[in-house]
Amino acid sequence: MIGFDTATDFTVVGATDAGRPIFERSLPPARRPLHSQALLENVTGAVESLGGWDAVERIAVGIGPGTFTGIRIGVATAAGLAASTGIPVTGVPTLAALARSIGEATGAGTVLPLLDARRGEVFGGLHDGRGEPLEEPFACGPEELTERLSGPGRSGPAPMVGGSGAIRFRDHLVQAGLSLEPDESAVHRLTGRSICELGAAAETTGPENLQPLYLRVPDAQLWLERDGKKV
Amino acid sequence: MPLLAIETSCDDTCAAVLDGSRILSNVISSQADHERYGGVVPEVASRHHLELAVPVVEAALADAGVGFDDLDSVAVTAGPGLIGALLVGLSTAKAIAAPRRLPLVPTDHLHGHVAANFLDPDPLEPPFLCLIASGGHTMLAGVRDHHGFEVLGETLDDAAGEAIDKAARLLGLGFPGGPELERLAADGDPQAFTFPVAMSRDPGLDFSFSGLKTALVYISRELGEEETARRAADLAAGYQAAVVDQLVTKLRRALEAGEWPAVALGGGVAANGPLRRAVAGLCEQKGIPFKEVNRELCTDNAAMIGSAARFSQPLAYPDYLSFDAFSTGPRGNR
Ligand SMILES: [Zn+2]
Repeated sequence: MIGFDTATDFTVVGATDAGRPIFERSLPPARRPLHSQALLENVTGAVESLGGWDAVERIAVGIGPGTFTGIRIGVATAAGLAASTGIPVTGVPTLAALARSIGEATGAGTVLPLLDARRGEVFGGLHDGRGEPLEEPFACGPEELTERLSGPGRSGPAPMVGGSGAIRFRDHLVQAGLSLEPDESAVHRLTGRSICELGAAAETTGPENLQPLYLRVPDAQLWLERDGKKV
Repeated sequence: MPLLAIETSCDDTCAAVLDGSRILSNVISSQADHERYGGVVPEVASRHHLELAVPVVEAALADAGVGFDDLDSVAVTAGPGLIGALLVGLSTAKAIAAPRRLPLVPTDHLHGHVAANFLDPDPLEPPFLCLIASGGHTMLAGVRDHHGFEVLGETLDDAAGEAIDKAARLLGLGFPGGPELERLAADGDPQAFTFPVAMSRDPGLDFSFSGLKTALVYISRELGEEETARRAADLAAGYQAAVVDQLVTKLRRALEAGEWPAVALGGGVAANGPLRRAVAGLCEQKGIPFKEVNRELCTDNAAMIGSAARFSQPLAYPDYLSFDAFSTGPRGNR
C-alpha cells in the first residue's frame, strides 16, 4: 500500500509491501511547502517501487489537523487517485501518524504529538506509542499546554513530546520539566511508514466519503457566530 | 474520445465531459453557503470544493454515460482564481489523470470564458470581440484565433460583478446580488439619481467601478436609512444603469477602434438582462452579429474549460506531476 501526508510543511510519502517499508520520502519545505509540486511525483515513485498501480491494494492519506491547504492537497489527491483507480482509500489522523512515528523512534509508551498550528497555538493529543489516541485532539496555546502537562490530574511518567509544535514551544515545554530531542531530530517528523501502518489497520471508504480533519472552523464562520453579522 | 474538464477557481465546483465541441455533460454545484457570509470566503469555498470535487466528477461522467476508462485527457483550470480553490481542482485532476497516464491540459480560466463561444450548437468562429464581466473579472478580450486572446481593456479596481454585489449588500439584498438587484431595478427609475459613469472621458478601454460604490454610499448616507430603503428600486436602477453604461461605452469604443465582425459576452454579469439588451442594441446599430450563449455557459462552468483545453497545450504524462496552480499570472496569447 501507499501512504502520504501533506498536513505539515513536509511532503511525506511512503509505501509498504506486506507490512515491510520499501519507500520513504520526507521533503522539507522550500520558501513554502512543496506539496502541490512534489506530492504526486513522489506518490508515483512509491507506486513504481511496488511495481505499478495494479500492485496497490490501499491508499492511506493524512487528513490533518495541519495547514488547511496542505490537508486539501493530500485529501484531494487521495480521492482523485481512488476514484480513478477504484483502489480503496482510508484517512489517517496526522497526529496519530506523528505519535506512532515518535513511539517508533523512541520506544515511548505514551506520546504527545504536537503540530505547530500557527497563531501561537499547537494541535495535539495524547496517544500511545502505536498511535492509538488516548484523548480527543485539541488546539491550544503554550500556557494551556503546559497546564495540561503539569496540572492536577496528570500522573505517571511524562509523555514523550515531538513534532513542529514541540519545536515551536520548546522553551515552554522545557520549563514544564519535559525533555526534548534536538530540533533536527527525526523524532519530530511523521513518516510515510506510520501513515501506511495506521492506514492498513483502519477501515477503508470510497473517495467521496474521505473526510478532512481541520479541527478549526474558517475565521469567517467564527466572526459570523461571534458578531452575528456578515463579514 | 471524451475529455473530462474540472473547474474550481471560485465558488462553483464544476465538471464536464466533452466530445470535441459537443457537451456530453456539464455539472455545476453552486455553494449556497456564501449567502450567509455576504460574499465568497476563500476558505469556505475551498472546503466545499474538496467535499464536492469527486462527486461532481462522477456525476459528470454518469450524465455523459462514460467511465474513467473512456477518457482520453483531463483538463483543469490552472488559474487565475483563488489559489486554495484552484489547488483542489488541480490536485483532483492530476490524481485522476496520472494512474491512467492520460495527458493533462492546464487551462486559463479567462480563455475558458472566451472558448464558451466555440461550443456546439452554432460555434462562433474568431475573430470576435468578447466582453467578460463577472464577480472576479472585467475585461475586453480581442479574440483573433481559438488559442488565446488579447486583453484590450480590463478593470483597474473592482470587477463589475463585485460592484453589483457590493451595491446589493448596501441595499440589503442577498448574495449573489446580480439577479436580486436586477429584479429590484426593474421597478425603479434609472434617472432618479445621478451616478458617475467612470472612465467615460478616459480614452482607453479600461474599466473602473470602485467610484460607483462610493457614490452609492454617499447618496444613501445623505438619504438616511429609511429613505434609502424607500427609494431602493430607484437606487438599484440608477446603479445598474451606470454599470451597464460603462461596459457598453467601452465595448462601443473597442468596436470603433478595431474591425471586429462579431460580439460575444462571458461571465456571470453577462446574464444581466439590461446589459444583454444594451449590447444587442449596440450590435444592431453597428450591423454586426451578437452571439448569445445561454446562462449556464456564461457563468463559471467546466464545459468552457474543456472547450479552451481543445486549443491549449496538453502536458503528457509524467510531465505534469509537478505542475502547480497560479492565482494570477499568465493569460491571453501564449
Ligand atoms: Zn469566471
